[in-house]
Amino acid sequence: MNAATRGEVLLDVKALKLTLGGSLILDGVSFEVIDWVREGTTTGQIVSLLGPSGVGKTRVLRILAGLDAPNSGAVLGKDGKPLEAGSVGVVFQDYPLLRHHTVEGNLELAGAIGGLDGAESRKRTKELLKVFGLTERASFYPAQLSGGQKQRVAIAQQLVVPRQLLLMDEPFSGLDPAALEDVMKLLVDVANLHELNTIVVITHDIRAAMAVSDTLYMLGRDRKPDGTLIPGARIQATYDLVELDLAWKADVQSLPTFVALEREIKAKFRTL
Amino acid sequence: MSKITRAFQPNRVIDSGTTGLIVVFWAGTALLLWSLSPWKTLPTPREIWHAVGFLWWERGMGPEMFTTLKLIGEAVALTTVISLALSYATVIPFFRPVVAMTSKLRFLGLTGLVFPFTLMTGGGYTLKVALLTFGMTTFFVTSMAQVVIEIPRAEFDHMRVLGSSELRIFWEVVVRGTLDKALDVLRQNLAMGWAMITMVEGISRAEGGVGAMILDQNKHFNLAEVYAILLVILVLGLLMDYAMGALTNILCPHAAMGRVQR
Repeated sequence: MNAATRGEVLLDVKALKLTLGGSLILDGVSFEVIDWVREGTTTGQIVSLLGPSGVGKTRVLRILAGLDAPNSGAVLGKDGKPLEAGSVGVVFQDYPLLRHHTVEGNLELAGAIGGLDGAESRKRTKELLKVFGLTERASFYPAQLSGGQKQRVAIAQQLVVPRQLLLMDEPFSGLDPAALEDVMKLLVDVANLHELNTIVVITHDIRAAMAVSDTLYMLGRDRKPDGTLIPGARIQATYDLVELDLAWKADVQSLPTFVALEREIKAKFRTL
Repeated sequence: MSKITRAFQPNRVIDSGTTGLIVVFWAGTALLLWSLSPWKTLPTPREIWHAVGFLWWERGMGPEMFTTLKLIGEAVALTTVISLALSYATVIPFFRPVVAMTSKLRFLGLTGLVFPFTLMTGGGYTLKVALLTFGMTTFFVTSMAQVVIEIPRAEFDHMRVLGSSELRIFWEVVVRGTLDKALDVLRQNLAMGWAMITMVEGISRAEGGVGAMILDQNKHFNLAEVYAILLVILVLGLLMDYAMGALTNILCPHAAMGRVQR
């Protein structure tokens, strides 16, 4: 097992309940993100929220981002205060960028909105363009970028003003194997920029989520004895990949324990 | 596959050279058919060309064109301000019924509105500006309000998660984000205003304009002169349309990048 110790609670999601149009969508979703401390390294946190399509994952993301309010429950930051819109970075699935701004303009705008002065915003933009390999694309408009480049710009934009919680909606969706590897590496790199950085990945890609995360939460609905689904999703299972010695390993996907766990999660997935 | 063959196949992209050849072909064909036309009601290109010269040098077509351009310029400026204000106001629920009602007024004919508008404006130049502005505004608001309504929620959410104020979201997403579409709507409405010009200028002919001029020539059955004025209106309209397109490309270079060729 990795020499890691548990630190403070960085994100505390408490009993989220959400009803839309009379239908119960979320029924007491609770989970925590803990700061993992490993001596001699800067280790951010990557937590994946897994669940089948339509189960309410994106609804959880919108509540965590402060875009929607739950009917009850709370989302608390490390200071124990509720999170608000603007305090959490979000990379949406289709990477919406302002199409009338260039790549550089999109990043600088994020700086201006976040309260940085012009010079500071430009400096930070230049740094991030370099980190994300986008310097040569600085003057491009979003319409001129590939999907992978847009994703990198969207992530960089969320980091112009330092925010330690980043939510990502389906970052592995529709990627070819090479691009998937790149995105997985990018997530790990972004998380490890700061000890308290936390990325919450919303996905249904079990294998990719297992490869990058330290903790997996499975969101799903219960079933009646006759097999029909009961409305209202909640966390059905938690997998602590640190405890299972499957976190922070470059070659983790080839380990027999990884393959066995993937099989177990897939089987569970089908029941949700 | 040859370039010419591709021009005859559906859903093919052709290069600018081939496009130019096709345009020259159709323009030449139209000119040939026109020259050989047996219809007496269609003057020949030569007759029309002479009529243009006559109207320009003998009937003061230049100043009349200026009068018309001034009228349409003023009406377009007013239409743009009123229509954009109303369209952007759709982001505030309280104003949505006003915008919807303005849009529905496009079904009213301008002819029937001449009398009430004359009473309101006192007639003359102001009446013409008001009628033209009303006519264009109803259509501009219809198109532009739809553009604003169709902005995806994700664009607002994206700005919110960056921590933006609602006022800044309005500026970036609603105003700047739709500028290319606003210019496109304006371009279409300019064409509609231009098409309404003869009717509006006919209301008060004393002030002149190419609309009044064409009605005078109609009265005397001067067909070559009528076609000459129509030709000038067409050319001016096309020039304005081209200028609007160029302005869109300068102000919104990203707009052309989003268009897909097929």
